[in-house]
This record gives sequence, C-alpha cells and structure tokens, in this order.
Amino acid sequence: MAKLYKQTVPPPDMNKNTEWFMYPGVWTIYILILFFSWLIVLSIFGCNAGMAWTLVNLFHSVITYYFFHWKKGTPFAEDQGMYNNLTWWEQIDNGKQLTRNRKFLTVVPVVLYLIASHTTDYQNPWLVLNTFAVFVLVIAKLPNMHKVRIFGINAD
Amino acid sequence: MVRLPYFTALTTLFSYGLLFAFGQMRDLFRKILDLPKSKKVQGYAPICLGLEDFYTRRLYLRAQDCFGRPIASAPDSWIDVVDRYSNDNNKTLHRTSNITKCLNLGSYNYLGFAAADEYCTPRVIESLKQYSPGTCSVRVDGGTTKLHTELEELAARFVGKPAAILFGMGYVTNSAIIPALIGKGGLIISDSLNHNSIVNGARGSGATVRVFQHNTPSHLEEVLREQIAEGQPRTHRPWKKIIVILEGIYSMEGELCKLPEIMAVCKKYKAYTYLDEAHSIGAIGKTGRGVCELLGVDPADVDIMMGTFTKSFGSCGGYIAASKEIIQYLKHTCPAHLYGTSMSPPAVQQVISAIKVILGEDGSNRGAQKLAQIRDNSNFFRSELHKMGFEVLGDEDSPVMPIMLYNPAKIPAFSRECLKQNVAVVTVAFPATPLLLARARICISASHSREDLMKGLEVLSKVGDLVGIKYFPVESENSHAEAKLKKLE
Repeated sequence: MAKLYKQTVPPPDMNKNTEWFMYPGVWTIYILILFFSWLIVLSIFGCNAGMAWTLVNLFHSVITYYFFHWKKGTPFAEDQGMYNNLTWWEQIDNGKQLTRNRKFLTVVPVVLYLIASHTTDYQNPWLVLNTFAVFVLVIAKLPNMHKVRIFGINAD
Repeated sequence: MVRLPYFTALTTLFSYGLLFAFGQMRDLFRKILDLPKSKKVQGYAPICLGLEDFYTRRLYLRAQDCFGRPIASAPDSWIDVVDRYSNDNNKTLHRTSNITKCLNLGSYNYLGFAAADEYCTPRVIESLKQYSPGTCSVRVDGGTTKLHTELEELAARFVGKPAAILFGMGYVTNSAIIPALIGKGGLIISDSLNHNSIVNGARGSGATVRVFQHNTPSHLEEVLREQIAEGQPRTHRPWKKIIVILEGIYSMEGELCKLPEIMAVCKKYKAYTYLDEAHSIGAIGKTGRGVCELLGVDPADVDIMMGTFTKSFGSCGGYIAASKEIIQYLKHTCPAHLYGTSMSPPAVQQVISAIKVILGEDGSNRGAQKLAQIRDNSNFFRSELHKMGFEVLGDEDSPVMPIMLYNPAKIPAFSRECLKQNVAVVTVAFPATPLLLARARICISASHSREDLMKGLEVLSKVGDLVGIKYFPVESENSHAEAKLKKLE
C-alpha cells in the first residue's frame, strides 16, 4: 500500500484544547470511530442493523452533548482559566462561527439521524428518541446559540 | 510545516481518544466511590476547578517516570541518572540509591562547559572563595561585584551591542523585561511557537498580543498591516509602540528563524524587534555569536537581543543587550533588577571564563575547536538519523534535533527503552507541543566524542525499530520523497 503523507500548515490556534482539531485526519477518524462502534454494538447486543444505528446515534448524542456543549474550560491549567466560561464548541476556531469544522460537526449528527431512522423504517419509539437527539444537538450548534445559557442552566 | 503519515495521524487521534475515555471513566468511578466519604472542608472553594487537572492526573501521571528524573552528577556527555520505582502505577515515585551511567542526549550542554573545564573551573573555585556563593543583596544595594560589571561589558561586546544588563534567571529575563518595555496601548506580535517565558511576559505587560504563523514573514506582514490599520482595540488610536518577538533557535523544532526577511518586514513597518537567543547564542555562527552572525544580520539592526547563560555557557542567568539608553532605562525600571537578588558570583565567573574561551582570549583555540566540533557533531548525527528513516526536525547546523514520535504511547516506550540501554533522552508531549506532534528532543554537545555519537545512534536505531518510529523509508525512497517535498515547498 502506498504510504500517504499529509502536509499542512495549520493556522496558529493558541488554545491547546481545540487546536488538535485543525490537524489532518480528524474528520476521518471521527467517521471511522462511529462506523466501528456500530460494528461493536452489533456484535455485543446482537440486534438488527437499525437498532444498532439507533444505539450509536443515542450514545453519540449523549457523549457529544456532554463534552461539546456541557463541559466548560480546558483539561489543563496552563491557560489560567481563560476559557472557563466557554464550552468546547464555543472555543473551537477561536469562536468564529460557520467555519468548515463547525459545518462538518453539525452535519454528522444529521447524517447519523438519517441513517438511524432509515434503517429502523421510521418506527415509533426509536424515531422519537432519534429526532429529539438530533434536534438538541443541531440547535446547540447554531451560531445564534453562541454563549447562550437557556434558563441559566450550566451558567457560571 | 506538519508532515506525518496519514495512518499515524489517525492512530494518534484514536489513542488520545482512548486515553481520554479511560480517564473520564476513572474519574466517574472515583466520583462514585467518593460519594459516601464525608467532606471535612465544608464551605471552602475547591483548589482545582472542574477538569483543570484532568490532563495531569490521567495522562501525565501514567508516564511520570519519564519526566523529572533526578541526576547525580554534572550534566556532561555521560550523566548519572538515579533509579526510581513506583508501587502504585506511577502515581508516586520513590528514589533508590542506585545510579545508572547514561549517555546524555538531553542536556543543553552545547559547548561542553557543563562539566569541569580546565580553564573555567579553577577560576570559578577562586571566585567562590573570594566572593562566596551568594551576594546576599539586590544589584542596586550591595550586589554588584566587579565580576558583574565585567560580565555586562563582556556580554555586550560578545553580542555586538553597546551595553548589557544581567539577570539571575533566564525565564525571569523575558517575563520581567517585556512588561518594563511595553504596556497598555502597545502591541506585541509574537511567533506562534514562542517560549512560555515570552508568553508570560507578554500577558503580564498588559499590551495587546497578536500571534503570527511560525517563521512566516508574509503572515507577519499581513498581521502588521491589519493591526497598524486598525489601531488600538476600541479607540482605534495608533499604537504606542509595536514589538515583534522571535527566537533564534526554536527549542521544540530545532529550526532557525528567518531573521533577514523578518527584519526587512519590521524595518518597513517601523516595528521594534526583540530576539530571544536562548538556544542560539554561543552555539551557532562562525565565532559563536549566534543567529545574527550565522544569517548575516547586523546586530545593530535588532533592537533588543536577549540570551541566557544556561545553554552554551554552563551557568545560569540571562542578559539583555541593547543600546546604552535602553539598558540605562531598564536598570532604573525593571523590577527584576531593582528587587531581585543578583547573580551568584561563581556563576558570573563561569560565564566570563566561558566567553573568554569561546573568543579565544584565554590564549588557546579551544573555543574555535568546540564550535567546529558541535557543528560537525550536529550535522553528522542529523544526517545519520535521516538515513535511518527517523523524522528529524531542525535546520542544518542546529544542535537541537527533535525526533518525531506522534503516538502518545510511544513517548514512555521510547524513553524507558532508551534508559534500559543507558541513553538518557528527553521526551516532550502535549501541552508543550501540539497534540499530534509529540517528540523526543536530542541536544548534541561539543563534548560528545565520535564513539559517544555512534553508541547513541546504535541505541536510537534499535529502540526506533522496537517502538516503530522510523516513519520514512530508508535512503533510496527517502531522497525521492524529499525531492517531491522540495517541489511542494
């Protein structure tokens, strides 16, 4: 197999919590992790393909909601708490909205939703859960929701 | 310029994700197991907010034995490393009394002055007897000895500037001088990979800080134009002054800055330049005068030249060299000079003797020999590592060569394997470097003999095969890949 080398010059991002997202291979590994977790769910639970996609979608929603939109700050102390009020989603790309990374991350839950609802034939209990998950995630990622805390939930 | 195999990028991201997931699960279990325990300190705020120490607790502590190894001898080309063991999976480490003699590829001992030297050490011991280890005073009270004034003149002469001022610590030199030079209403433009001391100094000064892409004069010009046109943040008044801060050799990349081009850009837009030569003074250039000599820039063009005595001169402390007026001003305003204890006299004497050796004023040509030796050693080592297939960063002539590891698991693997084979290397990971780009940083010294280098290469090659970091194919295909690379650049 020919060795593929990637060469890029990522733009200077001083926030060490988010600058790893600018490097090559991040989108690919995200998609690959989702695909492999689908295979793992299938092999553990022995359910049909649609159930597995629903489970992947729901787990993905819970995990990404928690880490992108709930947890605030950075996992190390060197930046002296500069980002302590910002969630990871608000920190990436230095707060600029509608960049390529943000558009990609908004599309992924939608695509997962379509796959999950298609493979379960739009049957009811799963459809409601999937729809709720995708609604919450996409609304959380809209540019108007930047630094908005509804009803003061998760504010300082 | 980031160059890495695509598969390695994917696996590195996956490894970090896995480590992160495990860390989160362990934190979750810790929270659950700690629920029944009573909190004896009610009403006090927690020391660490939220997840601030997550990286330290869950990632750094796993490989803690690779960092902070105590040493038991002078950091010469061979060094005694104290063995440590841990009973609780690296959470706490205990020293033993065993010592391993290792080849030292980690100390900043560029010219070999770190261990006993035939010219420097007798004079240092002499000054220790005469002036005692500490001056017990600040510079302005009773802490300026004859040695201090002699070193200030000598340092200024060595670097090629009219005057110089000394400080007891290299880190403090940056973080205390930058606030004294610029304040609110000024603009600092610093390279994106500048050292933490510069970042701290810039933050402490109160000036607006902007960052330009590492070593890219065109981006610097873009940032300068944008900032000059916009002016200060809210009032849009013109900036009071603009300082561009760069380093001579970037210690994590081993590459030289593009000084002539950046100087041209700064001259065009009338910005001041501040050059931090911590790693390059004494180590590069024909007579060791640093990156200005190597790249042919007149020292009179650079406004402020900063350097440290820790790397090439085997001592401790830092200096700033600039025009007489600036140094006079700094002597009256810089708090590190007015309130900080002065440099220890034996340390000052060590630097004086070291500079005299480099300049040849001790009556021998050992200085020129050392400079030639470090140049030859660095070039030989780097080319051999390239031939073996490692990804080595850094320019020609630079004594700092990082070997890319990328994967987080390879950091402790590489470090521990090398220690088992009696080679001491320094590994650097996130957050000192970008997440994907963990590396092992090799510092070559003039005191390494050819046999030392051969042993080092042999061990690195063996360990490299074991750990799997020879990312680039060997010689024949490597030149093909390099030719393609040159076309892209």
